[in-house]
Amino acid sequence: MNNGCFIYNDTFVHLLNLIYYLIQNHLKPENIKNTLYSPNLLDHVIVLKIEEDSEIIAKIITSMGSFTFRSIYYVFLSSADNKELIIYYLLLNGVKYKEKVLYHRNLKCVEKTINISRYVLHEVHKYKGFLRFKELENHILYAEIEPENDILSMVSHHFQRRLKNEYWIIKDVKRKILSIYDKKKYFFVLEENFSFETTKLSQKEIEIEELWKTFYKTIGILERKNDRCRMNFMPKKYWKYMLEMEEFL
Amino acid sequence: MNLKEKLKILADSAKYDASCSSSGSTRKTRGGLGNVAFSGICHSFASDGRCISLLKILMTNCCIFDCKYCLNRKSNNIKRAVFTPEEVCQITMNFYRRNYIEGLFLSSGIIKSPDYTMELLIKTISLLRKKYHFGGYIHAKAIPGASEKLLKDLGLLVDRLSANVELPTLNGLKLLAPNKSENHVSKIMQYVNINQSKKYVPAGQSTQMIIGATKESDLEIMGKSANLYNDYKLKRVFYSAYISVNKDSLLPVLESPPLKRENRLYQADWLLRFYHFKVNDLLDVKNPNFNILIDPKADWALLHLNEFPKEISKCSYYDLLKIPGIGVKSAKRILSSRRFFKISFDDLKKMGVVLKRAKYFITCNGKYFMNHDYFQKEFIEKNLVLEEKTSLNKVHEQLRFFNE
Ligand code: SF4
Repeated sequence: MNNGCFIYNDTFVHLLNLIYYLIQNHLKPENIKNTLYSPNLLDHVIVLKIEEDSEIIAKIITSMGSFTFRSIYYVFLSSADNKELIIYYLLLNGVKYKEKVLYHRNLKCVEKTINISRYVLHEVHKYKGFLRFKELENHILYAEIEPENDILSMVSHHFQRRLKNEYWIIKDVKRKILSIYDKKKYFFVLEENFSFETTKLSQKEIEIEELWKTFYKTIGILERKNDRCRMNFMPKKYWKYMLEMEEFL
Repeated sequence: MNLKEKLKILADSAKYDASCSSSGSTRKTRGGLGNVAFSGICHSFASDGRCISLLKILMTNCCIFDCKYCLNRKSNNIKRAVFTPEEVCQITMNFYRRNYIEGLFLSSGIIKSPDYTMELLIKTISLLRKKYHFGGYIHAKAIPGASEKLLKDLGLLVDRLSANVELPTLNGLKLLAPNKSENHVSKIMQYVNINQSKKYVPAGQSTQMIIGATKESDLEIMGKSANLYNDYKLKRVFYSAYISVNKDSLLPVLESPPLKRENRLYQADWLLRFYHFKVNDLLDVKNPNFNILIDPKADWALLHLNEFPKEISKCSYYDLLKIPGIGVKSAKRILSSRRFFKISFDDLKKMGVVLKRAKYFITCNGKYFMNHDYFQKEFIEKNLVLEEKTSLNKVHEQLRFFNE
């Protein structure tokens, strides 16, 4: 049964369960993929019946520490190729090195875990700043984002605390998922299951957007103009959803 | 005058203040709108590459003073405007809800008197906090010469309260800001420092110096900074390259702002705060200014080449910090990793060391990166200068908000 491509049911917890099963039974996966994976001819696909048990989270945290656990979770949220295999190798080494596993930076899986999780956190941080809400007719705040990684829940967590007394909706355009906040909690809905009007803006919206664009243009110092520096901190991929950048696109 | 015109005038006259950060506050909020993020958040970047975090505006650009370097000075014939407290609140709330900003930076020209101006700031900010229940970040500028009572009131409402030193020496101040007394600014800093707490100015204070409007050397500027950090526990000193906005026989005529010099000062400032350097390590009376071609740390290393190369697997944390290309984070990573395995040149790269610069100054397990004959000042210096010139990702230290 070695050398197979193992399939998990798309959830993080199930992936962890599967990996632990593989480690305990000394099975070496060639690959681990979710159910969306379309195998090629040479793949030997294996679907095991494995329970989805969230006890596994506590188990990993006790043995490897919460920092390691969080890093693994960020890798899972990433869009990195073979992220499941990276998590497998990290946990495999974690069995040996326990909470010190991330210090072993000479291991490939450690290097990748650190870099990928940093990359995911970096994107979350950028969106905390660059995301822009529009106020719709019914006072709901609405924003669209197009993140590379699956960070809608982390972004929502931030805005739940910041805009706790507002109704807001954030849409991940690429994944077609909406995060809807009802002043108590946020929940996720597939775009296809939820239709609403996003084009009717509140009355004063245009005026406020104008104010912001005016401020943006005014605050830059002409004598210090530095496009390269701006581009470095605010890469073009974010501009599409930032109203002050529209005219530069 | 409509709101848009006002905003244009009062943002335009506030833009020369270099401070942008929204970090360091631990103030807790209950109810209302907004909170603070300890590590600060940039919401946009302006055409000059500087971070936009706060709605940076003046209450008014009218001023009874006549500081030579300032656009808003009394003798300038420019359009003037005054915000009402309500207008400031409206813009702040509307921008904050839409996530354009992290909060408000409010300063002001001086109208009528320092106390009158300060009261206007207090009125505005308490309206924002109490009527609008705004919980985001607020950085206010204290008005030099205002009473202690008002300093106290304002400090309880904001996250950061600060006053600008503007010029590093008394002579400079006398020359260019005849209405200001240094005493006033240090009084503010003293007061804020003594009273600072979780409730009073929780994010601490910062200040700014203008670079290149007067003749002070880098040694004088850094000396002043070191004293400020020491005496008042400032969070940051900002350096702002002088921009010729006014024509005046007392002012130098600069073709362009001295940005490179500003950058060197920021780098040196970093070395003082996080790398255990002293001003005297970097500059002295014989060499009172930084080398424009090479950054202060590499410059120091080249002058002390006899202490190098340092062995990565053995040298102390403080020695690691002295190596060009190694930062606080990578030094810590080296320490925590070298107990577990032998670090190679390749591993250093993975730890975030800028090997292009560090390689000249280190050995890894006894090995130098190339033939040891190349370990000479001229060779290393030439390469470092070249490296800085070609490096594409040179960014202003000021903007490295991530490391704050
Ligand atoms: S006090 Fe001086 S620096 Fe401040 S606004 Fe007035 S003229 Fe400008």
